[in-house]
Amino acid sequence: MDTLIDVRNLTTVFETEQGGSRVVDGVSFHVDSAEAVGLVGESGCGKSVTALSIMRLISSPGRIAGGEILFEGRNLLALSEKEMRKVRGNKISIVFQEPLTSLNPVFTCGEQVREAIALHQKVSRSESKTRAIEMLRLVRIPDPEKRYGAYPHQMSGGMRQRVMIAMALSCEPRLLIADEPTSALDVSVQGQVIELLCELQARLRMAVLLITHDLAVVAQMASRVIVMYAGSIVEEAPVRELFDATAHPYTQGLLGSIARLGQRSGPLSTIPGNVPDPFGLPPGCRFSDRCPRRFEKCSSAEPPLIDISPAHRSRCWLCGGRG
Amino acid sequence: MSPVEDDPAGARRTQRLWSQGWSRFRKNRFGMAGAGIILVLYLAAALAPMLTPYDPIAQGDVPRMRYVAPCMEHPLGTDKFGRDVLSRVIYGSRISLMIGILAVTIAILLGALVGAAAGYFGGATDAILMRIVDALLAVPRIFLLITCVALFSGSVWLIIVLLGATGWMTTARLVRAQVLSLRNLDYVKAAEALGAGGRSIIWRHVIPNTATVIIVAATLRIGGIILTEASLSFLGLGVPPPTPSWGQMVFEGREALLSAWWLSTFPGIAIAVTVIGFNLLGDALKDAFDPRQFV
Amino acid sequence: MNILEAQGIRKYYRSSAGLFFVTSPVVRAVDGVDLTLEKGKTVGLVGESGCGKSTLARVLIRLEEPTEGSIRLGGADFLALRGGELRKARRRIQMVFQDPYSSLNPRLSIGSTIAEGIRIHKLARGAEVKERVSRLLEKVGLPSSASAKYPHEFSGGQRQRIGIARALAVEPEVLIADEPVSALDVSIRAQIINLLEDLQTEMGLTYLFIAHDLGIVEHVSDVVVVMYCGKVVEQAPTGDIFREPLHPYTAGLIASVPVADPALARARAAIPGDVPSPVNLPSGCAFNPRCPRVMDICRIERPDLIQLGAGRLVRCWIHQKKA
Repeated sequence: MDTLIDVRNLTTVFETEQGGSRVVDGVSFHVDSAEAVGLVGESGCGKSVTALSIMRLISSPGRIAGGEILFEGRNLLALSEKEMRKVRGNKISIVFQEPLTSLNPVFTCGEQVREAIALHQKVSRSESKTRAIEMLRLVRIPDPEKRYGAYPHQMSGGMRQRVMIAMALSCEPRLLIADEPTSALDVSVQGQVIELLCELQARLRMAVLLITHDLAVVAQMASRVIVMYAGSIVEEAPVRELFDATAHPYTQGLLGSIARLGQRSGPLSTIPGNVPDPFGLPPGCRFSDRCPRRFEKCSSAEPPLIDISPAHRSRCWLCGGRG
Repeated sequence: MSPVEDDPAGARRTQRLWSQGWSRFRKNRFGMAGAGIILVLYLAAALAPMLTPYDPIAQGDVPRMRYVAPCMEHPLGTDKFGRDVLSRVIYGSRISLMIGILAVTIAILLGALVGAAAGYFGGATDAILMRIVDALLAVPRIFLLITCVALFSGSVWLIIVLLGATGWMTTARLVRAQVLSLRNLDYVKAAEALGAGGRSIIWRHVIPNTATVIIVAATLRIGGIILTEASLSFLGLGVPPPTPSWGQMVFEGREALLSAWWLSTFPGIAIAVTVIGFNLLGDALKDAFDPRQFV
Repeated sequence: MNILEAQGIRKYYRSSAGLFFVTSPVVRAVDGVDLTLEKGKTVGLVGESGCGKSTLARVLIRLEEPTEGSIRLGGADFLALRGGELRKARRRIQMVFQDPYSSLNPRLSIGSTIAEGIRIHKLARGAEVKERVSRLLEKVGLPSSASAKYPHEFSGGQRQRIGIARALAVEPEVLIADEPVSALDVSIRAQIINLLEDLQTEMGLTYLFIAHDLGIVEHVSDVVVVMYCGKVVEQAPTGDIFREPLHPYTAGLIASVPVADPALARARAAIPGDVPSPVNLPSGCAFNPRCPRVMDICRIERPDLIQLGAGRLVRCWIHQKKA
């Protein structure tokens, strides 16, 4: 497997009245080509900002303060805006959570897909339309020739999300970033979209960075999982290992607090306290104030990511390591 | 029911939200500049007798003193009656600022009342009030004003009432939209589900959440009203002479614009600066008191 | 003992105001629903967007008037109440809202928010109000110092606790929780679910718990009601419905829940297609275009809700023929 994208020590800061807030704080990870990686965490953990940083779509008051994003060997952070535009939507695409606000209401869905194609490929108008219809068929929109002329409001949430996916895939990107692609959809439609993404990922041999709060979605789609908490990576592991040999107490807490079908006994286990705000982080380990297994060392020094097995790392003093 | 009085946190609440908005406002340089401009203007208006070197109304020694270009004695020159333009511009601020504030107060009160009634009661009340608003907005405002002034011969008070009475429609729409969106918010639903009455819901949940919107709208409207007053005066229908008003001064200077440029230019600048001042202040207030900003 | 009995509830809307007497299509948001809440128990109400579950909730607490139907609250006709009588009766049934941000007035301190109901119903005076507020805050797991603070100083989970305290302040018998955790972070959801369950045991509350997350519904409910396009399609004791769902829609919903376990491979797109538009429902059974077990009769005639065994109701031709 060759590395497609290598994020090194990425730091993104948002300026606020109370000073700079490191929403993404020294995050390093990689995604191999044709690999599906899940980036999991709760609101404010920095997962979406990481995605936007990769696309270089951070706008004021945020800014990328440091690090490197190597994509096919080139540092995206060193590209000019013009060069970056050739990467966006072409080599790297993104699908957002809300399919209604992501589509322009005054153009037909087909026209928007066609435009995405025409933007990066020099093809005739009729050629791009044919391709757009092909894309709609690829994402399993029934009767694509007819649906080409439908406006976003005439489609259901699930169909709109399919149109978004068609747009994102229209230039056969090497990396698809899916930011909570199913969170706004109905339960019965969520499954359809996950299945579609899985299938397209395998068929087009593209890498997927799946950003979600839902560990169940990750379990279905990703082969490797990165867990973020308060701006930094706390655990990274192949998906089976993350679920079977969970190392970080935060990940353990997340898994424990899911109400699973068929397990209906006693109260749910919880993580005490609240999702942290960037100015209220405890000293030492960021999770120490909510951690059920903390000990003295946790509040004196922040643990590094400690290797547990070749592909499994955890930012926890319980996993060994020297202080 | 007196929900406001027996609310021990009431005073503190208001204080806190205002101080938060105020501290954000102070960081906005444009807003502070706007506030500064307006403060200076009001001070000038209040202290006009002390600041002005000459009587703004008494005629000078014509023809010796007419159309004197800006010089040491008359920094902004004199007009065709030999009156000092600087003195007249300073006194003119009294009229413009007074008309601005009073007319806006009338317009905002009327607009808020109509808007809140339409939004809260809905149904037929809403339909009727809003059609009236549409109808009034369809009549060109300046035409309405000119007709009224022509009918009832101008006085400052008439102009204030007229400007207020013709300027409330957009405020009514704004307040109605606010009230409508507030009515659908869960906290209003929750209060209704708790058994709160209509009056208590309006006082506790609707008005406090529209107040800042109304204040901001008022500030932004003042500029517009001052401009309208100036246009009326420019048409010769505003404040009757010899009371100095900026619009009327621009109008009077028009005949000698090429030979005595200062006559129209300085009151024109005064109008522009005042309107800009109020707009800067209004924009800054809008940003500072936007409820979404309360983090 | 049944504390709330709703019968034949219908709520129809015109999809747009019929200007100039043009008849616009009628949306049957809730179309003939019977619902019974037994004291101290929890009914879980499940369905996808547009199935009418939230409309039903608003009708039950009389934030909206039903087009048709009757509601008995504690044996008395709830719909017959007007004005002051209605306001007085409102304290018996309260609601916890989905969105923790829009459900609290940003200009009121937490203390005044919680005290509002106490004052309206004159449940306490003077210093006693303050004391009650403190007790309520404590009950929902917040310090009494929270009373002087404002909503923006709290996280989503804490706000939801405040919303619960506000509802409990008037000592209701029935609590309707409309998706109370779906806007919250994963690690916070379990806290709120546990809190609601503890409060139920402690205070003998009756819950109508509306959710789309089947795992949570299974966890909290005694009885589950499944709605589709404004109608109840299945109702059963929780254990039964998850063990052996009778309606193909229920079965599909359960099958499409992603499982947080990468070891379990399963069919994900269990229900094809989308939720139909409420202005243009299919003829016959509303589920027929998506149903894997559709028969000829399903497209023509509407099935009735029939009883099959103790407490089990289902609206499906497969079972109606057997019955």
